Amino acid sequence: MINIFRHIYYWIDVRLGTHEIINEKRTGYLLPRNVNAWYSLGSVLLVIFALQIITGLLLMLYYVPNVDKAFTSVSFIMNEIPLGRLIRLFHAVGSSMMILVLLLHMLSVLFMGSYKSPRELHWLTGFILFLMAMGISLTGYLLPWNQLSFWATTVATDCVSAIPAVGRYLVELLRGGKLVGSHTLGRFYTLHVGLLPATITILIGIHLFLIQRTGVSTPPFGLEDTTNSWKNGKFIYEEHPGGIPFFPNFFLQDMISISLYMACFMALVFFFPNLFIPSTSYMPANPLVTPAHIKPEWYFLANYQTLKLFPSEIIGIIVQVLAMTFLALLPFIDRSPEKHPLKRPLFTFTAITCILLWIGLTGWGFYS
Amino acid sequence: MLSDLSRHVRLLLINRDNRRDNSLDASKRKFISICLGGVAALAVAGVAAITYPLFRYYLVPKPAGDSTGKITIPLKDIAAGDATFFEYNGSAAVLVKKQNGGLAALSAVCPHLGCIVQWEKGRQDFLCPCHAGYFTPDGEVISGPPPRALARLPFSVANGIVTIG
Amino acid sequence: MKWQPVIPVMLVLCIMVLSETYAAGPVIVCIQCHATLTAKLSQPVELWQTSIHAEHGITCNVCHGGDSTDSAQAMSPAKGFRGVPAPTAVPALCGGCHMGVAGHYTNSAHGRALGRGGPTCVTCHGSHDIKSATLDLIGSRNCSKCHTFEKARLIRSAMLKRDTMLMVIEKKIRMLKSQGIETDQMEKRLFALRNRFHAMFHSLDIKLIIMESDHIQAEIEKTNGVGGKDTGPLAGIIAVGWALLLALLFYLIKRNVD
Repeated sequence: MINIFRHIYYWIDVRLGTHEIINEKRTGYLLPRNVNAWYSLGSVLLVIFALQIITGLLLMLYYVPNVDKAFTSVSFIMNEIPLGRLIRLFHAVGSSMMILVLLLHMLSVLFMGSYKSPRELHWLTGFILFLMAMGISLTGYLLPWNQLSFWATTVATDCVSAIPAVGRYLVELLRGGKLVGSHTLGRFYTLHVGLLPATITILIGIHLFLIQRTGVSTPPFGLEDTTNSWKNGKFIYEEHPGGIPFFPNFFLQDMISISLYMACFMALVFFFPNLFIPSTSYMPANPLVTPAHIKPEWYFLANYQTLKLFPSEIIGIIVQVLAMTFLALLPFIDRSPEKHPLKRPLFTFTAITCILLWIGLTGWGFYS
Repeated sequence: MLSDLSRHVRLLLINRDNRRDNSLDASKRKFISICLGGVAALAVAGVAAITYPLFRYYLVPKPAGDSTGKITIPLKDIAAGDATFFEYNGSAAVLVKKQNGGLAALSAVCPHLGCIVQWEKGRQDFLCPCHAGYFTPDGEVISGPPPRALARLPFSVANGIVTIG
Repeated sequence: MKWQPVIPVMLVLCIMVLSETYAAGPVIVCIQCHATLTAKLSQPVELWQTSIHAEHGITCNVCHGGDSTDSAQAMSPAKGFRGVPAPTAVPALCGGCHMGVAGHYTNSAHGRALGRGGPTCVTCHGSHDIKSATLDLIGSRNCSKCHTFEKARLIRSAMLKRDTMLMVIEKKIRMLKSQGIETDQMEKRLFALRNRFHAMFHSLDIKLIIMESDHIQAEIEKTNGVGGKDTGPLAGIIAVGWALLLALLFYLIKRNVD
């Protein structure tokens, strides 16, 4: 019986040389000996993204992107279709999880200094992916067309109006009109199911290619010399002689992390679904009535609170754009070769302060 | 065959290059096999648990709610020699008031290839526009490709109201 | 002239401010004016804003007539303005929308006493701060205004149990709704039931009320059966357990492979 598989494997290998590649990947792809579980968050993100695509496609079977029918179609999915409620919850909880795990991934890269040369492009593609993930979450949020989504989108798109001169025009561009309406739904839907998933997939491909090309960065823990070994000169693949083979060792670590993530994810979906879908989400959108406590999703609360803090909206926006730009250009600003977080106090101090600030603003935004 | 498979997977897992010490004693190998068996079992169980519900999800769900699905039409709404079309049980249907006053409730789906028939008031018959199938007001085939008559629907009349279903 | 641009700008700002105030709804001139007047004339506005009529967009002109969009015509008899309605005209006014209740009321002792010291709708329900009717309206506070509370107490106790059940069902439906379950049909049925029940009270006919109460009871029992699609925690426990088991197995394999 195994012979058949062997025959098929041989047939493909003779035509494409796959045995060479597989062997090289299986035994030749080595990771640093001190690699840790944080490095597996990337594969967790891949699984989350795949699940979002699958559940998203399933939802598309019955969702209608029309202002009169959207809410009822989602209600139909939740009530009439077997498994519909679960698929919808998977998708909604999954989107929050994607942002959460993405933030953890970003933190681990920051603290282990993996963004430093020669990996500036990894960081840049990752950062763009982060922005895309926020974008896809924002656009997806409007689609159920309930009170929460309608007004959260109104608030979110309103912020852009503070930009002088082009602000008002930009808002109309985003919304497809002066107010959130059927054209907003149309363009948000196109972005959410078409443009953004395609772009994210391509960027993930580039991101993975870059990692394979340069080799995995060495974590700074458990080593004497924790400085970046890169010398600016010519391209050198970061070898890890005597390292751990990706397959099966780190592959198994990936599997463990994915399974643990699935456990947390299932626990949230089955036992705490209302964390992500509060009761205001079950009221159809009413453009004439603003509900009392509109606030955006948790990952936007810090931005929202910052805007509320500054007396002038435009300053609030500029501050945030500057912060994000600084973060995006970090590998170009931080040129020191040291990677261990405890050996670069300025970075660590700044990072922890910013994280605490972000958490504080988020909490403030939640309780205000 | 199963032992063959497990030996293969085990070799795959413990196959490393000569740079590492790859001698695993028998008990470790057996343990790994058991764990792998467990993983496989869980994977299969997971797939099985999800397949049937997903299949049901994908199938067009039967409309819940109105379980009777009966349609009522007041008799006076149709003139003699006229027909009215409506939806019954998810597909097109027609109620004809024949010129002698009799009624016929039929499926308006042509039994040939499924096009919806039209009522021709002048000729007092049904015409299927796709391949020119002709039916009597009672749904019997006059000419054309339809292999059999239009399906009859159960109906009753009470107090001037026709109830189909 | 230099100050000319100021007027259109002020106009735009006014419109912006005003439109903010009512969250993009239509402007009601009655409220705009009366809210700024002295206590007696502004009190109805404050009371109305807490009412169930305000919640459902029943504005001043619905009862008092007039044109609510045009200051000049707001109190014009030509536009149907009728000011404060005479007490004897109140039941007909409210009955224009609340027809079921009006029917029962007219044939009741209260209805027959209209104009001769009998109560109108306003006597128990208030005129501006009308809230959704509860059984609390039937109490010594309202009924003892004119006579003893005895008969009213009998009626109240006849209705108490069923009314409580209706409230419990309403809560259940709200909870189901907050979990995304389709509750439209249930809500409509409950609304119809409750309305019929409360309207019945106005007949003051205790026999009829008891009969209707039993009828309502049967209906309630039917609605009670409609529960949520609660699969219980079993599915969740299996799912989480499955994932944890998988993690454990992979961990054991990894430990032995390393």
